[in-house]
Amino acid sequence: MAAIARSSSPSPLLGLALPAALVAVWEVLGRAGVVPQGILPAPSLVAATWWDWAVGPSGMGLNPYLGTWFETVLFSARRVFTGFAAAIALGVPLGIMIGWNRLVAGAFDPLIQSLRPIPITAWLPFSIAVFGIRDAGAVFLIGLGAFFPIVVNTTAGARDTPRNLIRAARMMGASERQLLLRVVLPNALPAIFTGMRLGLGIAWTAVIVAEIVAVKSGLGYVLWDAYYVGRMDVVIADMVSIGIAGFLSDRILVAIGHRVLHWKQFGAR
Amino acid sequence: MAAVDIAGVRKVFGGRAGEVEALAAIDMALVEGEFACILGPSGCGKSTLLNIIAGFEGLTAGEARVFGEGVARPGPDRAVVFQEASLFPWLTVWDNVTFGPRMLGRPKEETDALARKYLGLVGLAGFENHLPDQLSGGMKQRVGIARCLILSPRVFLMDEPFGALDAQTRMQMQELLLHVWDETRGTVLFITHDIDEAIFLADTVYVMTARPGRIRSRIPIDLPRPRTIEVLTDPRFNALRADILHQIREEASKATREFEEAERSARR
Ligand SMILES: Nc1ncnc2c1ncn2[C@@H]1O[C@H](COP(=O)(O)OP(=O)(O)O)[C@@H](O)[C@H]1O
Ligand SMILES: [Mg+2]
Repeated sequence: MAAIARSSSPSPLLGLALPAALVAVWEVLGRAGVVPQGILPAPSLVAATWWDWAVGPSGMGLNPYLGTWFETVLFSARRVFTGFAAAIALGVPLGIMIGWNRLVAGAFDPLIQSLRPIPITAWLPFSIAVFGIRDAGAVFLIGLGAFFPIVVNTTAGARDTPRNLIRAARMMGASERQLLLRVVLPNALPAIFTGMRLGLGIAWTAVIVAEIVAVKSGLGYVLWDAYYVGRMDVVIADMVSIGIAGFLSDRILVAIGHRVLHWKQFGAR
Repeated sequence: MAAVDIAGVRKVFGGRAGEVEALAAIDMALVEGEFACILGPSGCGKSTLLNIIAGFEGLTAGEARVFGEGVARPGPDRAVVFQEASLFPWLTVWDNVTFGPRMLGRPKEETDALARKYLGLVGLAGFENHLPDQLSGGMKQRVGIARCLILSPRVFLMDEPFGALDAQTRMQMQELLLHVWDETRGTVLFITHDIDEAIFLADTVYVMTARPGRIRSRIPIDLPRPRTIEVLTDPRFNALRADILHQIREEASKATREFEEAERSARR
């Protein structure tokens, strides 16, 4: 099956053709002056800006972005990491307990299900009111956004532990604690990773929103700040940076998932 | 003292769709080292009985005792082999087999030695690092048997463990099980709906009635041991077979009749 799918699937070069063509058209239009550079700067200009932003000598007065790219990315990445880690630390144990214990499910499920439909953006005023214009507010938003997919998927994964696996563990002498850690948790891991991937995507959305509104650093802050001063080249370089950061962090998570879930690669399961 | 003592066990499942009486009144007693098979039509309550002894299900009335102790919860003194092996797919063969001793905190050297011994006994030496999904159905059941042996249980409970295997593998597994049993001489309660399998394996065959389950008859199997495939052509084997087949047919047709009556009254 895999061999057939591979031999008939098109070369990856085909997938690059369309973006390359778009960039080329954009470059031509930009140079021809069809689209004003102030609105849609040509890719070559964006690339040059990005270069300065990344490796230019910082602190050179006129251009506040020179050489600040790495620290800007780090600010955002650190917030994403902190909020995401908090969401896992809270969402996984809680999800396991909700999936395992009816009392816990009865207590927490209604609360989670009623808070879940509130978009992360709607929490912004609340977050600023409580945490002010500080890191904690951004981390709160990120954590909250990532928490829901993680807890919901963990719950589902824990709930579908096959009854006979639980019985087998019990007959082999596992305590309730061992049952949760050695059977229910590993059984839920594939679902947990699905939840984490969804959560990580939301975390990057949340960090940008939070940095636009609630803190004064990071890719979201630069995005909005550059827009205000009419630096669309920085805006576009920033957008691409966000995309790359989100993509890379997802790849890292997937790579970790493949290692942890190595047993999933065999057979039909 | 009986190894397994079932006295007046009744089981009624309560559900939204009404109550289901799975077991009416079961009485049976296995002596230590006995290999007993329970035969009965599908749905007659065989698994329910085994689950009660395993401690997976409670009972409605009566008593289930194992070596004099009332069954309260599952435990490593009553090892269970499931029909679908039910191995942990994220653990290797080795880790599946040593799971019980590790949960029980038994010493590692002793566990490793036993794991090696029993993996060898079931013919899985060399497969320690395989994952369950890399094994055939028969091999999975060998792991399921080895992880029970390592617990040194007082009773083995086996619920149609070879029911999902093809005929040839099933035969191999039956021979393997008899070989293992010869080595270990545990008390075994083995559930099946395959008459040949029951006669081939058992010291005693219990035939159950259609639901609600009762013990219809207790048939000692006096075929000599150790048994090999040759026993299948023994005239005594065929006589036992004919007798049990007759009883099973009666129960099966009773079940069909009851089903049709229920259908009729439901339509009315
Ligand atoms: N948890 C349950 N709730 C309600 N009815 C059940 C439950 N488990 C089994 N039963 C019913 O009890 C009867 C006996 O089931 P079972 O012991 O699995 O039969 P067998 O193993 O002999 O095929 C069946 O009619 C089955 O539908
Ligand atoms: Mg059954």
